[in-house]
Amino acid sequence: MYQIRKNKLFTVLNILGLSIGIAGLVFSILYWNDEQSYNAWNPENENVFQVVNDQPRSGFLAYNVMPLGARLKEVSPEVEEYCNFYPAYSGALVEYADKKELVSKVLKSEGSFFSFFPFEFIRSNAKTALKEKNNAAISEETARKLFDDEDPIGKSIKVGETNCVVGGVYRISGKSSVEPAIVIREEFEENIKKNAENWGSHTAFLVVKLKNPANKETVEKQIHQIYVDKQATKEAKEKGISTEAYIKNYGLDIPYLEQLKTARLHSKVNNGYQEGSGNYQFLLIMLGLSVLILVLSIVNYINLATANAIKRAKEVGVRKIIGAAKRQIVGQFLFETVITTSFSILFALVIVELLLPYYNEFLSKNMILSSGQFYIQLIAVFLLTVIAAGVFPALYIANFDVLKVLKGNYSRSKRGTWLRNGMLIFQFAIASFFIIGSYIVYQQVNFMMDKDLGFNGNQVIDIPFNEAKNPADYEMIRNELLRIKGVEEVSSGNFSFGGGGYFTTVFGYKGKDIEVENMSMEFGLFDLMGIQMAEGRKLSEKFASDTINSVIINKTTAALMGEKDPIGKEFDFRDDGDKPGIRRLKVVGVVEDFNSYGPQREIPPMLFYHLKTVSESSYLSRIYVKISPENMEQTISDIEKFWSTKLDTRYPFRYDFVDKSFARTYQGYISQRNLFSLLNFVVILIALFGLFALASYSIQNRMKEIAIRKVLGAETKTLLATLSKQYVVFCIIGFVIALVPAYLLLNKWLENFAYRIDISPIPFITGLFFLMALTLAVVISKAYQATRVNVLNYLKYE
Amino acid sequence: MIKIQNLSKVFRTEEVETKALNEISLEVKQGEFVTIMGASGCGKSTLLNIIGLLDDVTSGSYQLLGNEIRGLKESEKSKIRKQNIGFVFQNFNLIDELSVYDNIELPLIYNNVSASERKKKVEAMAERLAISHRLRHFPQQLSGGQQQRVAVARALINDPKIILADEPTGNLDSKNGNEVMELLTDLHANGATILMVTHSDYDASFSQKTILMKDGIVLSEKLNSRNVNVLA
Repeated sequence: MYQIRKNKLFTVLNILGLSIGIAGLVFSILYWNDEQSYNAWNPENENVFQVVNDQPRSGFLAYNVMPLGARLKEVSPEVEEYCNFYPAYSGALVEYADKKELVSKVLKSEGSFFSFFPFEFIRSNAKTALKEKNNAAISEETARKLFDDEDPIGKSIKVGETNCVVGGVYRISGKSSVEPAIVIREEFEENIKKNAENWGSHTAFLVVKLKNPANKETVEKQIHQIYVDKQATKEAKEKGISTEAYIKNYGLDIPYLEQLKTARLHSKVNNGYQEGSGNYQFLLIMLGLSVLILVLSIVNYINLATANAIKRAKEVGVRKIIGAAKRQIVGQFLFETVITTSFSILFALVIVELLLPYYNEFLSKNMILSSGQFYIQLIAVFLLTVIAAGVFPALYIANFDVLKVLKGNYSRSKRGTWLRNGMLIFQFAIASFFIIGSYIVYQQVNFMMDKDLGFNGNQVIDIPFNEAKNPADYEMIRNELLRIKGVEEVSSGNFSFGGGGYFTTVFGYKGKDIEVENMSMEFGLFDLMGIQMAEGRKLSEKFASDTINSVIINKTTAALMGEKDPIGKEFDFRDDGDKPGIRRLKVVGVVEDFNSYGPQREIPPMLFYHLKTVSESSYLSRIYVKISPENMEQTISDIEKFWSTKLDTRYPFRYDFVDKSFARTYQGYISQRNLFSLLNFVVILIALFGLFALASYSIQNRMKEIAIRKVLGAETKTLLATLSKQYVVFCIIGFVIALVPAYLLLNKWLENFAYRIDISPIPFITGLFFLMALTLAVVISKAYQATRVNVLNYLKYE
Repeated sequence: MIKIQNLSKVFRTEEVETKALNEISLEVKQGEFVTIMGASGCGKSTLLNIIGLLDDVTSGSYQLLGNEIRGLKESEKSKIRKQNIGFVFQNFNLIDELSVYDNIELPLIYNNVSASERKKKVEAMAERLAISHRLRHFPQQLSGGQQQRVAVARALINDPKIILADEPTGNLDSKNGNEVMELLTDLHANGATILMVTHSDYDASFSQKTILMKDGIVLSEKLNSRNVNVLA
């Protein structure tokens, strides 16, 4: 305690450094726990598997053909049960008596859902909740909103257009890959019936429960056999080739069963369940970086403690002479570390508590500082820190040779110097890694933000319909909107900027299968969005054929078709809509590639056609309106008035600016960039503090040498060079150590991006320069102080 | 060579004011070997530090080689010091991290002597002081006498006009102490000007003149009868 009071500044900085390190680790642990807790509560998590497919053109996707589940149950004795459900939540207005609630997480599923996600039922039970076709199961929260204290069982509610009877109320037991607010079955089961022989369209999520999880591979083989029978053989017959030849030329889905237990973090598909996937890579980055920061602050602690120990060597020597055992001395120093670490942990918890809201917002989570698991982990962190930070210096001090110490010969221990310098180099390496890393992240994110998107979403608002309208209504809606003052142009398209198209279709062209995004739209959308044509013409009402068989492809599609001059080329295209059949389509134009998913994603092949051309895509899901910048608020409020009185009286009016919603697609990476910059700052701060402290001690130890050199006529300049030289060398060694890991890891990170920068030498050069400048600033300021002192103090009375 | 007139040095702390030197006047001529003696705290080391340009003067005049030192800037003093003065300390003040060779070489580096020249000079000096076989050693590996030889070598390497020795035998046994004194006498015989501070009457007897100090003033000056050349 005396020591703590004596070295106030260093102690405070030490505690602060440790606190920041521990706080960082606590944040990562919270994140880790949160992600690991997904489906952990689910007693079926080892038996439930999701069927995902490695598709020939798209890679792994969770979408399945609707008849698969039933067929699999027929042929496989290993499968106990299956459940299809719709791949996304639906939003619906839910009505009970005179109450209306907009519920965004309505799940349309088959009736067996609760056997796979056995939530705790607070009314009725899992078996009876969805017993009848028109039953709906609702969550506790939904029940509270609609019914207050009333018993909901047996009550009639209206979910969207469907009338249902509440069959059960459940409480979502823990983090789950699917967390519906309402589960209904009738509509989806009808859909399944309709598609009982549709082996071509992948439109449902499918989970199966195995009697024994070890049979996973057997079942995968069974599914594959079903694909061969139902898909390959049938298609091959139509094309008049053998099944083997078909599979060889066109490929076939390879099924893969993915255990629910690991689905959140280790899934082969992205967002295979409604609640999405965890970002395992980012989780590891967070964890890795926070451990690095903690190590950095522990290194600081050790360095300071051992450096300080030299000053305290006499104390130890005297203690030893008056009879202290080695164990007692180790104990004393450990005790000091325990106190420092305790302070640090308390302070770290304060930091976490204060910053948790921002962190939650950043990760879109709702984490809190509690749970027994967390406190056990915190104790583990405490113990590890004490051991790492305390034991080494304690042993180091306790092993001082008493005689040497008392004779005054202690300060030249080569071993201690070596170790401290090694750690300093290690710190330089970490700091270099962070500087280079955050520079590259910064470059990539800026590159992404500055990228030409291929469209201009400025002043364009996107108004989605909660329930799709008939394309026939479009002209009326457009004319009404154009009448509003400030509305400059109106169009529509069944895709969003940032979310892309709604579904893909595969068509064959000259022996190649091409999978395109369906981008149905109204005339004038390209003009409204400033999308440029590469060749040919836009769709126009002047041509009758433009609502029947004219299509526009983007450059990516043209490249896949392998056609130099695609204009006028025709191909067959399957329509799975309410007027199913094969359409013969003709290319009339090629559009420049534009970004529909966000700048980090590759531009997919796209097919544009009029809303009326293909029945599967023939509906009105959103309207794009370009408005004048003057009196925007008035214009939007006028649109809202029209919208909610004439078009959609049931749902609240929603809109979004296209450029803003598009920017959200890469918001995550901007946050990552900001996070890295923040961490970078923290790391550099901690490392510089370490350097400062170490330089102080080391220069303190060299005061006699400095004095001698001064007496011998060394000038300040020369002395500064002598004193700084070793730190410059350490800085360079640390930098060199960091080079390769930084390059490899950042390269790995950049692989997330379809359009990425190449790693140039600039971040490395800048990093080295920056680190060197900071190092020299710290060391030289310290060394300069040293050269100013009166040499007499150090020459005479050693 | 050294001319000091009415020189005073006052140390001030918050409470007390100590007159370490009180109106001292003395002169050392070229080629002289002068010893300053006196009890601890009499001001002899302070005087030596002032003469060595390591400490400032409060009042009075100090001329070295005919130039007034008082009022010079630190950098100017540093320049005069490295060109004209060699130091030998009681505790040697060698740099432990540097080898014997590097220690001796240091003043040459600070005087911008070329590398080849330095090598020649260091080797010649080591030869002269019989430490050639120790050049690769580090100070901690040598005996006290050898260390002091290295310190003397370092003091001489620059051909200083004057050698200041602060109790050069204080940390040595009598045999090694004798060796060092003989070394100094030898240097003197070859024309070096030496100013030495010591407690030891025996050591003082090697010099030509002894100045006895007490409480910051010169108590007496006497010429020593012993003639080194005759004994040698």
